[in-house]
Amino acid sequence: MLAIDIRNLNKKYPNFQLRDVSFQLEKGYIMGFIGANGAGKTTTIRSILNMIHIDSGEVRILGKNVAEHEIELKQEIGYAFGGFEFYTRSKIKTLTDVIKKFYANWNEETYHSYLRRFKLDENKKVAELSTGMKVKYSLALALSHGAKLVILDEPTSGLDPVARDDLLDIFQELVLDGEISILFSTHITSDLEKCADYITFIDNGQIIASSEKHEFMEAYRLLSGSESQLNQVKAQLISYKINSFGFTGLIRAKDFDPSTNLKAATPSLEEIMIYFAKKEDAYV
Amino acid sequence: MYNLVWKDLKLGINPAFLLFPLVLNALMLIPGWIYFIVPMYFCWITMPNIFGGFRAQNDLMFTAMMPVTKKDIVKARVSVIVIMELLHLVTAMIYGIFTLRLYPNLTYYFFAPHMGFWGLCFVMLAIYNLVFIPLFYKTAYKFGGAMCASITAAMLFAGVAQWVGIQSPRVNDIFNGSGADHTALQLSLLIAGIAIFIAFTLIAYRIGAKRFLKVEIL
Repeated sequence: MLAIDIRNLNKKYPNFQLRDVSFQLEKGYIMGFIGANGAGKTTTIRSILNMIHIDSGEVRILGKNVAEHEIELKQEIGYAFGGFEFYTRSKIKTLTDVIKKFYANWNEETYHSYLRRFKLDENKKVAELSTGMKVKYSLALALSHGAKLVILDEPTSGLDPVARDDLLDIFQELVLDGEISILFSTHITSDLEKCADYITFIDNGQIIASSEKHEFMEAYRLLSGSESQLNQVKAQLISYKINSFGFTGLIRAKDFDPSTNLKAATPSLEEIMIYFAKKEDAYV
Repeated sequence: MYNLVWKDLKLGINPAFLLFPLVLNALMLIPGWIYFIVPMYFCWITMPNIFGGFRAQNDLMFTAMMPVTKKDIVKARVSVIVIMELLHLVTAMIYGIFTLRLYPNLTYYFFAPHMGFWGLCFVMLAIYNLVFIPLFYKTAYKFGGAMCASITAAMLFAGVAQWVGIQSPRVNDIFNGSGADHTALQLSLLIAGIAIFIAFTLIAYRIGAKRFLKVEIL
């Protein structure tokens, strides 16, 4: 079953547009949603949650149309937007007491077990939590109401490497039994190299690719060579940088001719992102 | 819906604002004052503070993340406003009874706190709601303009009503003169005021909910 099924999502703003956004996430997997700041990650996520009105397209979660089954689906979705920036002067305990009333499947035992596991003190105020702890609190809430889909908007931004690694381990544990799916947006691509199964890459409001992680990285080649060699491949390159040793550029694997004596390597997610962003700059 | 009302009362509204009417409405004990001012403190102080609090705590996003419909979000918020309004008016009315007993021989220049006057206060808040709620739900976070417009409308009504009450001997007689001792007349004025309050608030809710459906939550 598909946890997320987005088809031909369009949304126009005066200065920005989501164009034909489509991607699918199979149940029980982690999908990394990457893109530069302002590429449309949050807008896409907000439209998944029916917070903004889409111009056209369809969003289905766990097989049901979001626009028609919003309330029912929100019982099964857990989210964290960055940290937890609401009622920050209230104690966690007070907040949870209010929040749990909204959820039919709230499990107090699960909640307390996650509090212990995440070392969250119920008597602390939200403002007293570190960024990582805030994300963990959101996760504890999501998992205690039995969320089948967890949507995280930049959960790891602003965390130190240890806290990030810790969170990534938690994500991987969550999807182990195949019941929970995670979509998380980030621009820290190394996190995804560690834990994502699928990658969806959005750039300037358009989905560039959405596929299995290795497949995604293998679809590109990072070329390097001397400046004179640049002319042979310039037309096929997505974009390139010139430095004192020559050039490095990104090319689609299908456009690359291995018979040339250019050095080719598999790019990292970060490199793919950077070269796509550079391509855009070139047109400006 | 009830969960949302509970959320506002427990998290959103500072408990001081729940106690505020008990203290503030003691102003009703000032003999012969312009009693319209007393419920107006609700519009001047309580409402802007509560709505400022909601915005500062990012309540809109918090609420939107809960499994609730947009319609219920508005319904709950209107209910909370009404709860706060009733809290203010009912405590003021209780203080008003004491005022009437404490100073039995006072000549009132402005309206005396009889039931008929409270009917006018309900109308004043009805007008306040009718202006504030639809204007606020254009964005669901900007409340300054809506607050100014609704306070102006409520004050205009109170000002005109009070002016008529002084200028017209007939109206004066109904609210302050011999009519003031006529329980059936007073009660019917109060009931008419409450009926207008209910009608206007329901209209305000319907327009507000319709507008909020178009709001994008960012």
